[in-house]
Amino acid sequence: MTDLKLPIAMAELRPALGEIIGLGLRQRAPYFSVLLSSRHGLSIVVDNREERVTERPPTAGTVLSAFDAATNFERAIGGFNPQEVQSAARDFLQGISFQKFIFEAEPERRGDFVTAMQLDPLELSTQEKLDRCREVQRRAKSRDPRIVNVRVIYNELNEHAVFADPSADLAQRVQRVNMFILVIVSSPTGDVRYDFDVKSGSGGWEVLNWSDEEIQDVVDGALALLNAERIEPGEYRMITTPNVSGVLAHESFGHGVETDMFLKERARAAHFIDKVVGSALVSIADDPSQPGSYGSYFFDDEGQIAAPTQIVENGVFRRGITDRYSATALEIPRSANGRRQDYSRKTYARMSNTFFSPGNSTLEEMIAQVDHGIFLDKCSSGMEDPQGWGIQVTCHYGHEIKGGKITERVFAPIGITGYVPEVLQSITAVSNELQMEGGTCGKGHKEQVPVASGGPHLLLTARLG
Amino acid sequence: MLNQIVEALKKRNDLAGWTVRHVRTRGAQVYAVPQGIESQRVVDGERYLIDVLRNTSTAEGTPAMGSGDASLLPGDDIEHAIDQATLVAGLVANPMHGLPGPAALPDVPLSDPALQKDASRVMRDVMEHMRAAVAKHPQVRLGAAECFGEIRNTHLINSRGIDAKQESTQIDIELVLHGRKGAQESETFDELRRRRVVDLDLEAAIEDRVKSTLDSLDATAPASWQGPVVLRDEALAIFMTGDDIGGSVIRTLASAESKYAGISPWEMGKPVFRGEVRGDPLTVWANRCLPFGSTSDRFDTEGLPAQRIEVIRENALIAFAASQRYADYLQIPATGAFGNMELPPGKTPTSELLAEPYVEIVQFSWFNPDPITGDFATEIRFGYLVQNGVRKPFKGGQLIGNYMDALANVRWSAETGFFGSYLGPQAARFNELKIAAGEE
Repeated sequence: MTDLKLPIAMAELRPALGEIIGLGLRQRAPYFSVLLSSRHGLSIVVDNREERVTERPPTAGTVLSAFDAATNFERAIGGFNPQEVQSAARDFLQGISFQKFIFEAEPERRGDFVTAMQLDPLELSTQEKLDRCREVQRRAKSRDPRIVNVRVIYNELNEHAVFADPSADLAQRVQRVNMFILVIVSSPTGDVRYDFDVKSGSGGWEVLNWSDEEIQDVVDGALALLNAERIEPGEYRMITTPNVSGVLAHESFGHGVETDMFLKERARAAHFIDKVVGSALVSIADDPSQPGSYGSYFFDDEGQIAAPTQIVENGVFRRGITDRYSATALEIPRSANGRRQDYSRKTYARMSNTFFSPGNSTLEEMIAQVDHGIFLDKCSSGMEDPQGWGIQVTCHYGHEIKGGKITERVFAPIGITGYVPEVLQSITAVSNELQMEGGTCGKGHKEQVPVASGGPHLLLTARLG
Repeated sequence: MLNQIVEALKKRNDLAGWTVRHVRTRGAQVYAVPQGIESQRVVDGERYLIDVLRNTSTAEGTPAMGSGDASLLPGDDIEHAIDQATLVAGLVANPMHGLPGPAALPDVPLSDPALQKDASRVMRDVMEHMRAAVAKHPQVRLGAAECFGEIRNTHLINSRGIDAKQESTQIDIELVLHGRKGAQESETFDELRRRRVVDLDLEAAIEDRVKSTLDSLDATAPASWQGPVVLRDEALAIFMTGDDIGGSVIRTLASAESKYAGISPWEMGKPVFRGEVRGDPLTVWANRCLPFGSTSDRFDTEGLPAQRIEVIRENALIAFAASQRYADYLQIPATGAFGNMELPPGKTPTSELLAEPYVEIVQFSWFNPDPITGDFATEIRFGYLVQNGVRKPFKGGQLIGNYMDALANVRWSAETGFFGSYLGPQAARFNELKIAAGEE
């Protein structure tokens, strides 16, 4: 039997959802659904001078949704009190006149799902988790006298959701974990620089094992930044690490193909379906069902079962990712990408795990092809521009590539800008591996949801500054 | 339930201190797409946040302090939550620190009475107001918009005797404008956060955005530029205060937490700049008392009263913004959260700051300097090159530099403005910034 570990109040409300849906439908809502959503978690911060164990700000609430294909009316109630939810279901639709609309019957969806994991964070004590963080921090902190602090940050996100509509009765427990190592160094003149690395995934503590080499890489990265230069702005050949490749996918054909943006006429991609948007080496997908990735889930916040979406196939844009509203309005098939930050916010079309598919080259072959260029590492941020198809991605640093070899010369920070089709068209080699990295994605500057992005190494041309 | 929690905490003799916050929120959200109202939402929330302190000791036996926290929804098990928080507090051994005691709280205006009365109606009205304001301009249309209104009530009680309440409102607006001229299309996207509808100044805000939307139809990619760059109004406010995600360089480096962690190299009484200051001197207040400031409050999450703290005076660090915890660690006064950023008026009229030639950046894609090093390379969404009496619009290109170096060579306008979490000069002329050319 699947052990969902549902919060007690949520588990107690679940059997009443059929009746609550009936209340909504009897008030002539063409479609009615209920989502119970609980998100809580734990953060542990251990550094040279302090330790903190704190709860991640929890959210828990019930969303009643009534939809007539024109407007989605929602009542979001904090908590899972059956009386409050039933009362809200009776009251909130009063006075609303729905447009008449008959939705196509949806397939029956039933099931309880739990993230596969070996070391369930909920089975470990806080003391054990703290000790594990201390151990990683201890291994890093004395590696160089220029280190002023090493901070290890562990985050555990426990998500529970129950979704019900006339054809669905679904529940899931999604467990996500991540751990950052941040190494802060100081030069004799007082300049402070830092480097970081992260491990993340949907799963348990088995995701968070650090080798000594990985820890040393972060220390070396921070120390190298003490001598970093600013790059001369201009167009460069570059190789992106999977982390940077993923953010390029995310900002270009991730945000750019969220179909709520099509509806708002904010996405240029809407005019490019089945058209060439990149080199034939480019394939991009979004897949919430990808096992172990940080952005994975079993069903979205609108009860759509997780499945992959092939967004770009061999350079041709195929389809976008949807929420229920935009799929209905645009009359296109739904994908499992209707997500909300928490119960207090609406659903939008959002990414899950977005990535470039692997190619056939080896990294060594790709580096050897670059006479003068940059090896770009550690993406620190990105911003979408679906209408203008611009890209802004900021990398923490990049190494010079000269004569087919990576040198010790470091530039930081480095901003990548460009016009999406030109950047994708410039890709001339794609490596044969796939690595994913977790993070948080906003819609604009809000509506934060956990996602992953990744891919292989890419060889491309773009403007750096 | 708050009383029950307080009574339960008072009975614990294993705690060195505790704080409880009862937070209730209610709000309304309206979302529009070009075809009509996409979604209407009414949202309620209520929870109790407990923080506890517990005496612990280090491995060497030195007295230390541990902290833990827990959240409860109405009806949750109070004793279990307190046990959990107490257990966690017993696991860590940090330097000794305490909780703030009672103090007079300033009466900071934080609420919009209309929103308090009927958030749903006000949000629908704001949406209609935006639609009507845009409709006056036939070349431009409202593509999408979101209006959020929220009323938040906080009641904080701690073991040292603080018993304080505050109510605040907040409005968040997003709007997308589309312009079209022949085959040319343009889009502007904007976000505004204020505590009152009146402070949105929707008519003026939309007039500005309409102009940008129309001008960007003629925008081209910029050539490389090194020289004066002017920021005004919201663009300057974003430059100064950052955003919820990227943070702010000044807030990061002026925080006691960053100092304690070794992240901030700033030292009390020393210049915050690493080189020569060639522009106007920098003075900054961290101001939580600012009427209707979007990060104002009467008290912060620890219960520290709102203050207006001079953080930087004439280029020198005067105070770190310090929570009680980090104030105790560093043995400095506790100021509470940073809040809004306030700068004094400059000495130069805006008209003089606009001496040609210069580049004016109206909107960044996302101004996200590294909050620790201050380095930035940020895409420009829209701006103007102003020379020979012509304002030539451009989009693209990157503004490149270092945040503190930029502030070391800036002139501030005499005119001031209020932009949510920023009060200060309405315009700034950065004398020497670099723009990397955009793509044609």
